Amino acid sequence: MDAKAKDRDRQRFKGIRRMILVRVLLLPFIIVTVVFGTVVYYFGTNLQSRVASELVRIAEGHRRLIEQFLEERVANLKFASVSYRLDELRSDGFLAVVLRNLQGNSRGFFDLGVFDEQGNHVAYVGSYDLEGKNYAHAEWFRAVEKKGVYISDVFLGYRKFPHFIIAVKREEKHSTWYVRATIDTQFFNDLVESVRVGKTGEAYIITQAGTFQTRRRSGGALMEADPDHRLYESDDSGIVSFVADDSTGCRYVNATGRLDPTGWLLVVRQEAREAYAPLYRVWVIGIVIILAGGGLVVLMAFVLASSQARQLVLSDREKRQLGNQLIMAGKFAELGEMSVGIAHEINNPLQVMKAEQTLMTDILNEIKTGEVVDKANIGMVLDSVSQIAIQIDRCKQITQGLLSFARKTDAVSKTIDLASFIPEVIRMVEQKAKLENVRISYESDPELPELSSDPSQLQQVMLNLLNNALYALKKKENGEIRISARREDDSVKICVADNGCGIDPKVVDKIFLPFFTTKPVGQGTGLGLSTIYGIVERLGGQILVNSEETVGSVFTVRLPLPVKG
Amino acid sequence: MSHVRLLLVDDEERFLATTRILLEKRDVKSIQTATNGGDALKILRKEPVDVVVLDVKMPGMDGVEVLRRLKQEHPLVEVIMLTGHASVESAVDGLKLGAFDYVMKPIDIPPLLEKVEEAYEKKRAHEEKIRAAKVNEIISHPMAVFNKDPED
Repeated sequence: MDAKAKDRDRQRFKGIRRMILVRVLLLPFIIVTVVFGTVVYYFGTNLQSRVASELVRIAEGHRRLIEQFLEERVANLKFASVSYRLDELRSDGFLAVVLRNLQGNSRGFFDLGVFDEQGNHVAYVGSYDLEGKNYAHAEWFRAVEKKGVYISDVFLGYRKFPHFIIAVKREEKHSTWYVRATIDTQFFNDLVESVRVGKTGEAYIITQAGTFQTRRRSGGALMEADPDHRLYESDDSGIVSFVADDSTGCRYVNATGRLDPTGWLLVVRQEAREAYAPLYRVWVIGIVIILAGGGLVVLMAFVLASSQARQLVLSDREKRQLGNQLIMAGKFAELGEMSVGIAHEINNPLQVMKAEQTLMTDILNEIKTGEVVDKANIGMVLDSVSQIAIQIDRCKQITQGLLSFARKTDAVSKTIDLASFIPEVIRMVEQKAKLENVRISYESDPELPELSSDPSQLQQVMLNLLNNALYALKKKENGEIRISARREDDSVKICVADNGCGIDPKVVDKIFLPFFTTKPVGQGTGLGLSTIYGIVERLGGQILVNSEETVGSVFTVRLPLPVKG
Repeated sequence: MSHVRLLLVDDEERFLATTRILLEKRDVKSIQTATNGGDALKILRKEPVDVVVLDVKMPGMDGVEVLRRLKQEHPLVEVIMLTGHASVESAVDGLKLGAFDYVMKPIDIPPLLEKVEEAYEKKRAHEEKIRAAKVNEIISHPMAVFNKDPED
């Protein structure tokens, strides 16, 4: 195969392979993406809601825990305040005992103090020197005066140390006094912080003023203002969960809830990165699997597509070869049908040559047996010799015409001058036409441009049409075949018209089908018209027929003119 | 052979000319030629001919057609068909229509002359029989001599 054909094949191979790959891979890829996306989306939302509800659950539990703690401490104090008399409590060492008892309830009690109606610290047990101080103007004192029970926010107080207190008012018939306990900051911090939510989870309490009531693990000392306070504003009495970036730019999943007696806000939060880690893991794993698996699929598809494409290209090539073989077969069928006429055509020259040879032999024999050698008989011999030469030439023309027609040639592109090409083809069937009394006429545009085509194939087309016309004119008087070649726009129109028996309208659609013939068995192969149909199409033209029974037929072949390059 | 009156019919002019010379050299004195069926029949109507050598495939009137007409108009004339066909279909048709024999092209002169001789003999024998029959006829029915004789 020549290089151009190889190149064409390679291009075709690549094209087919690409097409198969796209079609085979595109849909599954889309489906996988959609499935993966959907699953991940649902997983994501599910995860988010689970994380949120988990956090809410933890926050609720924790809130209850802390509220309970505070309630119990208040109850403890209340019990203490009603169990003893003021003078008892003021007696030496008694308060320490009471404190020890209280610490039996909870180690959260740090110190204990009793205050009279005026706010004087009348009894104290603890590590600070607070006895005797007056707290009438202290915020907590005024609050407990009014409300009877008070839990304070963290404050510094006289001891200049962050702490918070619980105070209860004891109203007796004749006197009102107060008991106040300091809650161990460390203990309370530990209580609040003691929540396990992953590695980055933390819990802390902020006061209504937005300051830290307990330490925040990730940064935030007691009494500092929480820069993110505004995030937590909500009127909801339940636990509220939300995802937000804090002031450091870190994203957290939060669950917040107000603590009942104090209005503090409990915040339980976890870094979103950690909370949603499973989701990210799913993404990563999914993508890795898709890429790896997808890579494998692409590889397989490539291999398959390549083999398919190769097969197709091979089939194409085979089809082309078969097509060529069919043309050859058609050619030989044509040849076979022409053979009778050809045999006669060769026989005539042979006959003449035989007669001349006999004459020459006669004359020479006469000379041999004594006849005079003179100009006359030498002349006759010479005449015979030259006649033989003429007849040999005639045979040569016939056989050469035959051979060139029968020769297998690859499609070539040559310039063809129809004005001389068509008459040559006509000459090939001239004898036969004369025998059958058919007149062949040829007419063409005077300025007919040259065609660029394959002469041997074109010859086959013309011969077939002419032979068919001759067949249609069998037994017809005044048979005539008119051939015309005209230019029409960018193509040449060649018409072969006969006034023969025409084509039955019922079968005119089938005449170009392979193996279709109206000739009796053994005479027609049905390959002629179908072969030239293929040839004409391949040459870029078209072939049409127009026919009427008993009137005649016209076959029109349109061939493209070479494009002026 | 000198008395045979021959008519050669073939579309090759040169062949006719050369064959005529060859036959004249072999003592055939009366030779007519025609290149197509129409001319051949014209000649037959004008001149007496004994044997016709007829090419089967000719332009214009087909050889078989010529034979048919010829036999209609001149039933006693014998015809030898010249055929180049390997299948000799037309020759067989010709024989059915009454041709004497056929010869394959390209012809050899000696075998052709033999066949011409035989054909001529047949014609003469035929003519003899007819004459004999006519004589018997006259002898049996003397008045019949006044009947118009369509023959000859």
